[in-house]
Amino acid sequence: MTSIPFSRLLLVETRKLFDTRSGKILTAVLVVLTVASVVGRGLVAGPRLFTLTGTAGIGFGVLLPVLAILAVTGEWSHRTALTTFTLEPRRARVLAAKFLPPLAVTVLAALCALLVAVPTTAAVSAVRHVPADWEVSPLALLGWVATLVLLTAMGSALGALSLNAPVAIVVCLTNTILWNVVGRLGEVGRFLAEWFDLGATTAPLSTGAMTGGDAVRLATSILLWIALPAVLGTLRVTRAEIG
Amino acid sequence: MIEFSHVSKVYRGVRALDDVSFTVEPGSVTGFLGPNGAGKSTALRVLVGLSRPTSGSATVYGLPYDTLGNPGTRVGVLLDAGALHPGRSGREVLALGATTLGLPGSRVGEVLDLVGLTGQEARRPVGGYSLGMRQRLGIGHALLRRPGTLVLDEPANGLDPQGIRWLRELLRHLADSGCAVLLSSHLIHEVEQVADHVVMIGRGRVLAQGPVAGLGGGRSLEETFLALTSDTDRSAA
Repeated sequence: MTSIPFSRLLLVETRKLFDTRSGKILTAVLVVLTVASVVGRGLVAGPRLFTLTGTAGIGFGVLLPVLAILAVTGEWSHRTALTTFTLEPRRARVLAAKFLPPLAVTVLAALCALLVAVPTTAAVSAVRHVPADWEVSPLALLGWVATLVLLTAMGSALGALSLNAPVAIVVCLTNTILWNVVGRLGEVGRFLAEWFDLGATTAPLSTGAMTGGDAVRLATSILLWIALPAVLGTLRVTRAEIG
Repeated sequence: MIEFSHVSKVYRGVRALDDVSFTVEPGSVTGFLGPNGAGKSTALRVLVGLSRPTSGSATVYGLPYDTLGNPGTRVGVLLDAGALHPGRSGREVLALGATTLGLPGSRVGEVLDLVGLTGQEARRPVGGYSLGMRQRLGIGHALLRRPGTLVLDEPANGLDPQGIRWLRELLRHLADSGCAVLLSSHLIHEVEQVADHVVMIGRGRVLAQGPVAGLGGGRSLEETFLALTSDTDRSAA
């Protein structure tokens, strides 16, 4: 029997990101924050393209994982899973269709930040009569986008594992603080933070200078914060009694 | 066509369904009648694959629901009219369903007309809807693809008298055109007026089933129901 094409599920799940009141508000905040942070940094830090672009990432790192979390957990908090999984009983397909759009949105948001940063850099340079710094290392730019994508993916994975928006959001947002504390707990703490803090292991990505050891540490933290919760979350969702 | 075959469900040590067997034939309305907590909703969730039976099987068109491919094109389902995102408009809820089923956007307007929601109401977030409006929206969602089988859990809850009458005529019309309708309810009179067959359930067990007319053997459906479910009556416990 003909099943629902995956592209259609993707379309529906993408639409669900933006068609609710909270989704629209989150999108508006995202747009305002992108422009405000890039322009604001431009006024303070001067016409440096990569610096201005990267400023938008601070907001993205918070808002986009939240968007990804709500995409998954909203089905539970509002019990719309009843309808969603009645229309498509193969729940893993639905989850896959939920995981992908926030990642695409993240890449798009990063491109938008770059697009806003170009005229801002030019304008600041013209107004201040300072030469603009257009230097962007493609590798560093890619690393920056990859870091944001990983943070969003962590949101999706933790959302699927917890099926509870407040829990997933708190875990995502307090991660940095947690590792700051752990990193100060002597030798063991430092070791743990070095290997499992996604914030620290992704740092070499943004500088564009990654060693073999960096790559192994990055892979380990991805395994812990994204792959493992995504797999466990998928198992949980596919086995759950929906009611 | 719907078939429950010896379905039992034990959930957290409680036997929610106990050897439930019955069928719903095309062209008929079957009322699924039972007190609150009797297992009606559990049975319907087992039917559409949201809950797994401990033993036995439930099928639609002779197949497990989750093997139907795109089940929404063949089975219309409303399990809980309250299960909606409050920040999404009624029109958008139907548009999402229509997209999933591969229907043109024009179907949304047709369904809104069918269930009696105005364009203005449909543009508002469902968080502001009355229960009756949510029921109409949910029934509309179940009818997006003119299904051959319809499963509705307590669709009359919250409907005003006009709405109940509308629902009754709608279900009659659907059944007369060949649809197999399974309608759960705890409202005896509502079931009596629209159903051809009745399945009575209490504490997870089928207590009686048969045509509405002959079920009580002279007694009214209400008397039969109360007599059969007396041991589940909260006031008598």
